[in-house]
Amino acid sequence: MTDAMLTVEHVDKSFPVAHGLGAMFRTLAWQQIPRRQVLFDVNLRVARGELFGLLGPNGAGKSTLVKLLATLTVPDRGRMTLDGIDVEREPIKAKSRIGLCTGDERSFYFRLTARQNMEFFGALMGLSGKFLQKRIDECVELVDLREHLDTRFGGFSSGMRVRLTMARALLADPAIMFLDEPTRAVDPVHATELRALIRRDLVERAGKTVILATNLLDEAWELCDRVAVVNHGRIVAMGPPRELDVELGAVVRYRVTVDEVDEEMLHRTRDVPGFRDLRVVRTEKGVDLHVEMEPRDGGLGALMRAVSWNGTTLRDFRPIEAGPLDIFRKVTLDDDNER
Amino acid sequence: MTTSVSRPPSSGLAAGLAKVGAIFRRDVIVALSYPGNFALAWLGIVIEVVVAWYISRLIPPSRSFDPTGVVAVGFFQYLAVNQAFVRFQTAALNSFAESIRDAQLTGTLEIVLSTPTQLPTLILSSAVWSFTYTILQTAVYLAIAVAFGLDLSHVNYLTTAVFLILTVGAVSPLGVLAASLAMVIKKTGPVEFLSTASASLFGGVYLPLNRLPVALQAIGWLLPITHALNGFRAAAAGIPLSGVASDAIWLVVASLILMPVSLWIFAKSVGRARVDGTLSMY
Repeated sequence: MTDAMLTVEHVDKSFPVAHGLGAMFRTLAWQQIPRRQVLFDVNLRVARGELFGLLGPNGAGKSTLVKLLATLTVPDRGRMTLDGIDVEREPIKAKSRIGLCTGDERSFYFRLTARQNMEFFGALMGLSGKFLQKRIDECVELVDLREHLDTRFGGFSSGMRVRLTMARALLADPAIMFLDEPTRAVDPVHATELRALIRRDLVERAGKTVILATNLLDEAWELCDRVAVVNHGRIVAMGPPRELDVELGAVVRYRVTVDEVDEEMLHRTRDVPGFRDLRVVRTEKGVDLHVEMEPRDGGLGALMRAVSWNGTTLRDFRPIEAGPLDIFRKVTLDDDNER
Repeated sequence: MTTSVSRPPSSGLAAGLAKVGAIFRRDVIVALSYPGNFALAWLGIVIEVVVAWYISRLIPPSRSFDPTGVVAVGFFQYLAVNQAFVRFQTAALNSFAESIRDAQLTGTLEIVLSTPTQLPTLILSSAVWSFTYTILQTAVYLAIAVAFGLDLSHVNYLTTAVFLILTVGAVSPLGVLAASLAMVIKKTGPVEFLSTASASLFGGVYLPLNRLPVALQAIGWLLPITHALNGFRAAAAGIPLSGVASDAIWLVVASLILMPVSLWIFAKSVGRARVDGTLSMY
């Protein structure tokens, strides 16, 4: 991965715990204001044309990282480059490469129509005249808002507002896009269309680099070339989703179908080394035991013995593939346990 | 993702002016979208003139109200010109800070700052509409005041125009400083209080500066609005620019010193908000 579009090297970030006039006076009096560290030694390298996901629980530091890259906040330590441009030293140049979709539906003027908003932000991006009008038409078409272009933004639903945020991020045809929860509050149909827009149109056709911060595991797994799982300000796992599936092998799940169950069988199943969870579902064919366990040597054998201890007939046995949720749980829980 | 229409240059003077125009247009649309508020502002001007006229009838003419100090003129002549033009300081002190405050409240500040727009362009453009609106309000105020007896028959238009430009140049840095404060403390209340109090008491809006104790006169002398009002009163009395050259020079010097300083402080306050992660806080 030599052609890096984005690099983040040893970035730390903290925020003061107090703000406003009081904090200003304390600063003027040379008093140190305590700070809370939110990012710890973050390192990233994203290739040109890559769709890179930032995944993590609320408050993990995803949005802070996006804001750092969009020059909206500055790191305590470390260096970041966009398209070879040092974000701190040449912020204006860096900004001209960026399309930012914050997911904050307040980021428009409510008294202006969608078109007037787009004209305003387009002008600040350096666009004007017919070119700007053409871009507005194209971008709102992509997010299915053409019919609402002359509606006041204040009259938009939450989902429409988020979609317009995406259209605005596309206006200047940026080389790299930062999408912070772009499908939040969007209905399922438009969310699917937005995902297709991101993957198919932006990345595969236009060759853009996209950084997608999301809480939605399936979205990250479906769209991203690589994913970084962020927890407590640290990147705790990084790689292509399929590789994370295999490498982390977070949990294994089995569905065991038997004729009947009793308390002793369930008790023995729960005693299997690495046991995590058990769900019993009665079906027409018998009883399905959905067992979730850590992948340990001998674990499967122990499970087999537990469910057949009194000669119960095993009708079916199927391993269930680990999903994004398992990976996410695994890496965030492991990280939490290490603290 | 591409269009057949060629992309205009995204930097340079034309692009900069396009950004100023876009900010001006936004502010006009927002202002006109509140028709009730807009109409009441004009009604307020009428009331202001009427109140000034009634108060003036209680105060006898005095030479203190004459720019040259030679003849006794009515208080209305003094007060009306001051009230009409002190709006420029109020506009400056409020508009820059309010622009930042509105952007914090509407959540647009971060996204605006994420565009490749220079900070001076952003902050200075935010008052273009406000100053334009103030010129219109001042003109209307004066027109109504003339109906109530204000004598503008001797106006020196060159002096007026020059002082208009110099006033905007000298009071704008104060507005930028107010915006810097709003960026940090997230409130504009202290700024509004200071603007009204300082102009009313030390700026000579309601009473001539030479009637104040010497210490307060010194404070008044330091304020740009004092020199601006001196110039406007002189212009209304038909005094040529050379007659108020010292006030004009004071305003030029103040502009040249304060403007870069205020822009530097504003950049620092934005930098501080970026470091603290408080751009979107309100």
